[in-house]
Amino acid sequence: MHDASSDTGPAFAGPGDASAASAQDHSLPISVKSLVKSYGAFRALDDVSIDIRSGEFMTLLGPSGSGKTTLLMVLAGFVRPDSGSVTFGDKEILLLPPHKRDIGMVFQNYALFPHMTVAENLAYPLKLRRVGKAEIRERVERALDLVQLGGLGHRDIQELSGGQRQRVALARAIIFEPRILLMDEPLSALDKNLREQMQFEVRRLHEQLGITTVYVTHDQREALTMSDRIAVINDGRIQQVDGPRALYEKPETYFVANFIGETFSLPVEVAGDSVTLFGQPIETGAPLAHGDKNQSLILRPEILHMFEGDPDPGMNRLSGKVRQHVFQGDSVVTYVTVEGERELAVRRQHRSDETELAPGSDIQLGWLVQDTVILPEGDGSS
Amino acid sequence: MVLKRRMIQATAIAALLSGGAAPVYAQDSLTVASWGGAYQEAQRKAWFDVVEEELGIKMIEDTTSGPADVRVQVASGSPTWDLVQQGNYSCAILEKEGNVEPLDPAILEIPGIPDSMKSDGWIGNLVYGAVLAYSDEAYPDEKPDSWDDFWDTEKFPGPRSMRRHPVYNLEAALLADGVPVEDLYPLDVDRAMKKLEEIKDDVAVWWSSGAQSAQVLQDGEVDMAMVWNGRAQSIADEGAPVSITFDQQIVLSDCWVVPKGAKNKDLAMKAIEIMSRPEVQARIALFINYGPANEDAFDTGVIPEDVAKGLPSHPDNAAKGFVLNSEYWADNLDKLVQDFDFFIQE
Amino acid sequence: MTRTTPANDSAAEPTNRRALRSQARGEQSRLLALSLPAFILVGTLVLLPMGWLFWLSVYGSDGFTLENYTRLLHPAYKETLITTFELAFLVTGLCILLGYPLSYVASQLSPRWASLVMLCVLFPFWTSLLVRTYAWLVLLQRRGVINTWLMDMGLIDTPLKLVHNFTGTTIGMVHIMLPFLVLPLYASMKTIDFDLMKAASNLGASPTRAFWEIYVPLTLPGLGAGVILVFVLSLGFYVTPALLGGGRVMMWAMQIERSMAVYGDWGAASALGVVLLVMTLGILWLLGRLTGAFAGAGGR
Repeated sequence: MHDASSDTGPAFAGPGDASAASAQDHSLPISVKSLVKSYGAFRALDDVSIDIRSGEFMTLLGPSGSGKTTLLMVLAGFVRPDSGSVTFGDKEILLLPPHKRDIGMVFQNYALFPHMTVAENLAYPLKLRRVGKAEIRERVERALDLVQLGGLGHRDIQELSGGQRQRVALARAIIFEPRILLMDEPLSALDKNLREQMQFEVRRLHEQLGITTVYVTHDQREALTMSDRIAVINDGRIQQVDGPRALYEKPETYFVANFIGETFSLPVEVAGDSVTLFGQPIETGAPLAHGDKNQSLILRPEILHMFEGDPDPGMNRLSGKVRQHVFQGDSVVTYVTVEGERELAVRRQHRSDETELAPGSDIQLGWLVQDTVILPEGDGSS
Repeated sequence: MVLKRRMIQATAIAALLSGGAAPVYAQDSLTVASWGGAYQEAQRKAWFDVVEEELGIKMIEDTTSGPADVRVQVASGSPTWDLVQQGNYSCAILEKEGNVEPLDPAILEIPGIPDSMKSDGWIGNLVYGAVLAYSDEAYPDEKPDSWDDFWDTEKFPGPRSMRRHPVYNLEAALLADGVPVEDLYPLDVDRAMKKLEEIKDDVAVWWSSGAQSAQVLQDGEVDMAMVWNGRAQSIADEGAPVSITFDQQIVLSDCWVVPKGAKNKDLAMKAIEIMSRPEVQARIALFINYGPANEDAFDTGVIPEDVAKGLPSHPDNAAKGFVLNSEYWADNLDKLVQDFDFFIQE
Repeated sequence: MTRTTPANDSAAEPTNRRALRSQARGEQSRLLALSLPAFILVGTLVLLPMGWLFWLSVYGSDGFTLENYTRLLHPAYKETLITTFELAFLVTGLCILLGYPLSYVASQLSPRWASLVMLCVLFPFWTSLLVRTYAWLVLLQRRGVINTWLMDMGLIDTPLKLVHNFTGTTIGMVHIMLPFLVLPLYASMKTIDFDLMKAASNLGASPTRAFWEIYVPLTLPGLGAGVILVFVLSLGFYVTPALLGGGRVMMWAMQIERSMAVYGDWGAASALGVVLLVMTLGILWLLGRLTGAFAGAGGR
């Protein structure tokens, strides 16, 4: 109280001075090159290369068994790859044992030491680094405040709720000021409300500390919410690395398109630069991939618009029949049958003054040319 | 309660019958407890069968593991055993404690049983010796034949075994130290302990059961041991290269006692009388390597000469040794056992 | 009845309160009835005999006496006590040294191999104590298997004294006690989340430090249970020291047996029993406090 400067000591950059310079000081870039890891015939990592910028929040997203956790474990040093290179800054760390890598990590099940109190858990990495007793006490207190657990240092781990354990795990991972933080599905055990709250917390902490963070999740919504960039991984390969928006709007592979967001795909025929959908020509905004036989049009519920008459000019169009409306509160999803058997969904804002078309009504669907994504099927998965 | 009442009734009836000098057929059984195993089987064939036939009764067998059993039975107020086999000084102790019935004077007058093997409350029935047994392989040439040799680890090197108990050991130590047999009792305990100290490091095993003493000899764990003659004899008979010397053997007798308050006391006395007769006594040697307590048994012709020579109570062998003083041990056992424990553990 | 619950009050009483209460009471009494046999059993089989034991030790034919206890001041009993504790400590220590790595390896193996190892550990349980003890005699004695091998290989000239002494007794007892240590220890090791070791390593702990500071403390409850079992069982052990000790290793339990069989002295035997019981309870309390302190800090 009497000394304002002690509120933000050297351990953590306060919100006020989260400048690029200080973030740089507390973080390192990660460079992964040609990483291969096989378990017998199964390739968990198949020539993976990725560059993670200093201070970046990078999420590894993929279905279970995709290799995202294996990649994280290679970074942490718990899995020894067959070949490849990993550098933190300009230092090759692949040959270093885990305890010499100096990186923070939050485990899926928290991995808090049950025989230590909260404060002892936090003090442990500092003790290992021979930090003085007085400084340990001070830093533990500050770390507890940072994760909003001030005054709970004396508690046993068993006395904490899931969310509190998560915060302790987070505090323990950063208290020794690592310049890289790894998180392995840290929020998966929490219920939905708490998870959303913690997503915000983790993000806030990241912004405050500016630490390079690699976050593993299979929850695309979580990935989209939190990340600076997302690396989508499938079958041991990186499919696409991009910002959340680009990833959603401009998926580069059929897998990414289907994995992220709600997606419907329709078969199209590509000949030269012209594309036909059920015999009707459609316009595309981006250049097409050639040579692949099976190409698909990727449609998301929110890019589609319904018209009783003709769609706006300049839109691609498709005719269909209303099958069913599903009221979801803020929005209404309308299921539309096209070409007899295929089904699409259209999502629009709910408005109380709108009347809904009766099921069975004929309608026209339209979408903007720039929203038109056409991708070859079956790519990136073999 | 019901049980107790029944016992009282039984006792009352027994008292009535015996008091009325009624014929014995009314009491048709006698319960006897002994050491069990081959030992008791030999007793059954040699003695119990004879008693059953002569008295026309049935002898019901049980087993005992020591004087504690007798004390418990007597303390219960109605002992179920009428006749019990015990070790020599245990008999003396039980008599001292008042746990046994005084014997019928007629029994004590039976000729042939030495005074050292009987008292008012007990009488010896079976004789064995604590003898020096040794490995023929370890000592192929000169054989040890005295406790002095047992102590002489230069002339006869090799590990020894002795009983984990002061009885016999103190006597043997004093003999080895040059004390004449007739001056042994009362034992000079300090002198004996000092002598035992000399051999302590060469005693590999202080045995606590007869089976163990035989096992260490048989397996060659020790080269020389003080053991009960029957144990050494049985492994020698099985082919183990083990010999026995009766020189300076310490003769012991197991004996009969009748627990205080035994239901069939009078019948028990009759049975003892029968089993103490020379011709009955002699039969025991036919079934086991222990000798009869009655010296006259050797004159009955029942025991073949070659068997007789292997028995500790055969006059030739008996002359080489001496009889353990049960009275002395009855008086001093408790203290000496503690002292001996301390001596071993030190 | 009518006075305590007047009509207007009973009208105010919440619905079903009484019925629910009596239901709860009924459940409680049923629970009590279920545990009654256990109480009676413990009372008649444990507490009564123990009380009787104590009574015998202080009440002789001449009324109250401490004679049975003053008797224990003889140096022989002191030696026995020292031997008993020495052996119990040594056996427990060796069991930890052997059992800890063994349990660790078993806990790390795949289930199939682990059950094989545990089977080997448990195998002795299915053979009689006497048989196992005699087996050691066959192995260890002067012309036993081990000495014969060593002599045949020319490693030694004279046989080693492996049995009929403290060494032999210790070997035999460690073999018999090992499963009692391994079982609870293995169980507690199986429950340790291996991520904790990764976390320690990630936080900067070398494998050695992680083992001592994280792994070992977490196994303490299991280790404590095993140590208590082994120690207490060792204190009261009889057969193995009697057979493998060569008469030199005198345990407290052997003194009890001797007091009974040789002297028929219930008072003395009871006093010995009471002393062993008190000492065992004392040790239990001490160990319980020690491991309880860790367990309290460590929880499950």
